[in-house]
Amino acid sequence: MRGDIRPLPSGKHPTPPGGTAVRRLAAIAAGDIAGYSRLMGLDEEGTLARLKRIQRELIEPTIAEHHGRMIKTTGDGFLAIFDSPVEAVRCAIVIQQSMVGRNTSLPRQHWIVYRIGVNLGDVIVEPTDVYGDGVNIAVRLEGIAAPGEVYISGGVYEQIKNKLVCGYQSLGDRQVKNITDPVRVYRVLPDPAAIVSVRHRREVALIIVLSAALLVIAIGALWYFVKQQGIRTAGKTPAVVQTPKAASPPAPPVPVETSPTARPAPVVVPAAPQSSPPVTEPEMTAIPGGSFAMGSNDDASEKPVHQVSVKAFAISKFPITVREWNECVAAKQCADLVSGAPDMPVTNVSWADAKQFVTWLAQATHKNYRLPSEAEWEYAARGGTQTKFWWGDQFRSGMASCKNCSDGSTGAQLVKVGNFEPNRFGLYDMGGTVDQWVEDCWHKNYQGAPTDGSEWLDGDCTSHVIRSGSWMNDASYVRPANRDHYDTGVRYPTHGFRVALSP
Amino acid sequence: MEIARLAVLSISLALLPVAAHAQGTPSPKDALLYIIWPHDGQTIRGAFWCRFGLRNMGVTHAGDTYSNSGHHHLLVDVNEPLDPKQPIAQDKSHLHFGAGQTEAHIELPPGKHTLQLVLGDAKHYPFDPLVVSKKITVRIK
Repeated sequence: MRGDIRPLPSGKHPTPPGGTAVRRLAAIAAGDIAGYSRLMGLDEEGTLARLKRIQRELIEPTIAEHHGRMIKTTGDGFLAIFDSPVEAVRCAIVIQQSMVGRNTSLPRQHWIVYRIGVNLGDVIVEPTDVYGDGVNIAVRLEGIAAPGEVYISGGVYEQIKNKLVCGYQSLGDRQVKNITDPVRVYRVLPDPAAIVSVRHRREVALIIVLSAALLVIAIGALWYFVKQQGIRTAGKTPAVVQTPKAASPPAPPVPVETSPTARPAPVVVPAAPQSSPPVTEPEMTAIPGGSFAMGSNDDASEKPVHQVSVKAFAISKFPITVREWNECVAAKQCADLVSGAPDMPVTNVSWADAKQFVTWLAQATHKNYRLPSEAEWEYAARGGTQTKFWWGDQFRSGMASCKNCSDGSTGAQLVKVGNFEPNRFGLYDMGGTVDQWVEDCWHKNYQGAPTDGSEWLDGDCTSHVIRSGSWMNDASYVRPANRDHYDTGVRYPTHGFRVALSP
Repeated sequence: MEIARLAVLSISLALLPVAAHAQGTPSPKDALLYIIWPHDGQTIRGAFWCRFGLRNMGVTHAGDTYSNSGHHHLLVDVNEPLDPKQPIAQDKSHLHFGAGQTEAHIELPPGKHTLQLVLGDAKHYPFDPLVVSKKITVRIK
């Protein structure tokens, strides 16, 4: 998404070799939680755990995404530095809007609400801290901000007013503690009504409860009918007993799965025995080393075509299956999120889930299992060819599972692995069936890509590369050069993966 | 036979709410999804930041099942109608923002393009009723 090149202070500290601190203009964002001590009084451990989670999952990534650098976290607050005031304010808005979403399900007294102040000023930057009036003003702005709001100084306002389409409400000049001149303060209205109104929460809760009650009645009725049916015409109505719930012995109709939202994965996996069972390793195919032209001119993301050398490695013959995934679940190392036949490819896994699996597999087998690099994936998918598809330049029906790809009616659905012809390396489902995560971070094209077959990790690592396309994508996604990307921690029903092994 | 038919009917009736529930996470009546920027009919030079507006609901991560909240999907030049019974597609014209993003840096080739937002629930299904923005048209110079 964000591939633009720009010199950043992030990561590397801006102290020159001489060791003296640098004075420079920067946008400073200061945030803290309104009513922190009240929250801590209410539930100390719980609040702290939530706070840490928010910092890890929301504050830090959002700052990084906006090309900022977290200077420090201070108990309930944080201090971040940005090159651009626009990015700093955007970051603050994103944090506030995301917090709205996180709070909606909680009772009001447990809400964690941030106050954020942004100032533009001359500051002294050291690797682990920043100093100066510029920082103090940001902290004071945060102090006067209403909970859930972003307050900015006049300096920031002047810089962003024509660049960031928001509402700005002037709050006039304010005298702030220990600062001689008054500071002009503006309140940012990112979207005046986005600050969620929760007055509908009760209504929605009522609707959910009512529908749950209806559902219970419906299931009860269903159960009753089926039972009656079973007594009167035993064995004569196979078509009726299609639903697993109806087929179960006459237990009372417990309303499982009534809530449409909070539904845990229904698969029950037996607890792992004390001594860990031997792991069934995925079937691996050795791929000889070689050189190939990676990319194509069919899509901007696949340019420029560049020569890449790949060392010999092995890659799983099929995408990882439900059976293989569930071994990791049984070992309590992977999320229990999969249902389906054992030889179906595992789906609905995020990149982070896939990483957990390879980490477990490597530990359990003491082998160097990992995700393939993007270059390795394409090299393996091409199977030594340079054509648009591995079998030629024309798409052929019946070669892969994709949308509107077959002549018959067996269109858009997930099929088991190995259902189509393998490519010349003997690999199945390298194109179509399921999207497959690789190790690489997303880059919008191949400008500056490595040429040694290694994974490309710097850059926007909030998003990772997916390859292969799925049964839900059209034939152009089956091309071995096709590439796409998705948020690292997010699950989607067409995403799976395969594993690689270094010799 | 009569009883069998009745049973089938009652089962399908009983399953109806299940089907509706599996897909249609309820959305508040007054939920409003809109594109803050760019405006409909706007001409833009080069890449731009598209900003997402949402009223009376909250933005959260995909996978989070907080009530009254969802995550954004931006549909670029999509003409097929949305299937409310399927997860929102994931491809180069259906951009997902499951990390809770409220804006996106968009690069499009010169020419006319349409943009439309769809809010998805924890499992990327559209809400019931649908929470979609107006489809806007922009021109890239």
